[in-house]
Amino acid sequence: MSLLDIDGLHASVNGEPILKDLSLRVEAGEIHAIMGPNGSGKSTLANVLAGRPGYEVTAGQVSFDGIGLAGVEPEARAQAGLFLAFQYPVEIPGVSNMEFLKAAWDSHRAAQGSQPESAVGFMKRARALAKGLGLNPEFLKRGVNEGFSGGEKKRNEILQLLLLEPKLAVLDETDSGLDIDALQTVAAGVNRFRSADNGVLLITHYQRLLNHIVPDRVHVLTEGRIVASGDKHLAEKLEAEGYAWLSG
Amino acid sequence: MAVGIEALQSLEAPPWLGAEGLTRCRQALGGKLVRETWKYSPLPKVTDALIDANVHQEPPDLALPPGTALHRFDKLDAPPRFGIDLNRYPLAGIVAARAGACWLIEVKRTPSRPLRLAAPGGRINAPLLVQVAPECRVDIEQEAAETADTAGFGALVLVLSLAADSEAHWATAELAPMVDQWSLLQAHLHGNAALTLNHQGAVANFRRQDINVVLDGQGARLSSVGAALICDGGRLDQQLVIEHASGGTVSRIKQHNLAAGRSRCTFNGRIHIHAGAVGADADLSNRNLALDPSAEVNTKPELEIYNDDVRCAHGATVGQLDAEALFYLLSRGLDPQQAQRLLSLGFLRDGLAGPFAERAATAFAAHFKGD
Repeated sequence: MSLLDIDGLHASVNGEPILKDLSLRVEAGEIHAIMGPNGSGKSTLANVLAGRPGYEVTAGQVSFDGIGLAGVEPEARAQAGLFLAFQYPVEIPGVSNMEFLKAAWDSHRAAQGSQPESAVGFMKRARALAKGLGLNPEFLKRGVNEGFSGGEKKRNEILQLLLLEPKLAVLDETDSGLDIDALQTVAAGVNRFRSADNGVLLITHYQRLLNHIVPDRVHVLTEGRIVASGDKHLAEKLEAEGYAWLSG
Repeated sequence: MAVGIEALQSLEAPPWLGAEGLTRCRQALGGKLVRETWKYSPLPKVTDALIDANVHQEPPDLALPPGTALHRFDKLDAPPRFGIDLNRYPLAGIVAARAGACWLIEVKRTPSRPLRLAAPGGRINAPLLVQVAPECRVDIEQEAAETADTAGFGALVLVLSLAADSEAHWATAELAPMVDQWSLLQAHLHGNAALTLNHQGAVANFRRQDINVVLDGQGARLSSVGAALICDGGRLDQQLVIEHASGGTVSRIKQHNLAAGRSRCTFNGRIHIHAGAVGADADLSNRNLALDPSAEVNTKPELEIYNDDVRCAHGATVGQLDAEALFYLLSRGLDPQQAQRLLSLGFLRDGLAGPFAERAATAFAAHFKGD
């Protein structure tokens, strides 16, 4: 049983077909990178997997950890261990980061039949992880992503990834807007997350992230379908030659 | 003429208000200006309630800190000007006539601790005038806990007069949602004086707040941050008039109101830049969240500008919970009810500031837990 099994997926946004017969398998312990030009459907794939309203699956099947995702609500997907790191994390003034993180963690534990972790223990863990990601623990007191720079928002996404310990992380252009230091920190966080029990679907435009997070497989998404797959060298070729050779 | 005004005929005006002043109030109650500003509130019902309400003539419940002095205003040989435009706020005259007393607190030097005023509760309180001397600062705190007396109708009239270079901070927490209430704050600021207002409250019955701040001196500044939760069946009507009467004056208004259930929330905020108020700088923001389709929100930010060299911004929003934020929380595993609760609470908390912010946040959280 694959961790993620996408078979012949078609999906539309506002009635417009975006994903067209996309198939992909991710096994536990693997990192798959999805690359592709603008508008190829990379973010649509991420949002479809997370169950975002407005993203309609019109054909095909997606199963996660052996469970079909059709009709499964976003919160149930998350509780089952599917995590989406947003390309544009939302700012939520008035809701502190710590409160949000604790609520998210408690909901995961409740879904597994566990009692909430003590606030003290959780805060200690969150602060330590934040520090490791170069996030000032003071950020945990602020509103969710409120006034964060682009890099801080992405670090905050990785903090959530590490805290929630999902089975599958879908990282939607987590490297966009990051300077070199932040890129390395975020990559270190993803590598820390990586284990034989979980998987990562890494959506990116640039090969530079893959210098720090070495993928097992690289796929090229064009016009809603995967047109090429390979190992990490495929990303290097794309970096050097672009996508034009694929359509030629 | 509005119902209830007949009953005012029997009122006797205190000497400092005079029969003429009371007559003006009676006339104003039937006038166009008052009818318009009371469009969303039951004026006849309020005037009737004012006639019937219990009266609290005693001095405000406070142990005055050193540096302040209390006087019975209406017994002074030469009382200061009350400073309220009775044509605009005739109910202030009615309250004064009913109360039969009026109190003056002089702040002669900066007190070491806040002035603590009793919440209006279900009674008419004698109007209070606070005069702050130059270069002094005063904090005024007023809190109504959920255990407050909720019977009857409460009324409060507070007049603040800030001398040059003085500062005042008035913070209120009205967390007794069942109290019916009308309140008026009239503030007059001279040069470089600064006023900070923090109002936070929960409303389950009827609450009407009138605020009139006159920035009447170069560099006078107002900052107001507030949040209100209007519970099912509640009616909140906020009427703000901020007057920039001098140059270089600054006002910042931020008000967050959340209307739940079958409630009604009205916000009317008017910024008036007088001719000659060169370089005035005003920013007014009113955000409203309607949690239920049957909730009603009325908001009207207004700018009235009589000179060219000003900076003014205003904005009002009425909406439901942000779909992006909701999905963000759901994508982290929070169930929809929990996510909505957290976002609602966050919206209100974003309008909290001052000494009662934490207490108000706790009260709001308790409300949402009980839903």
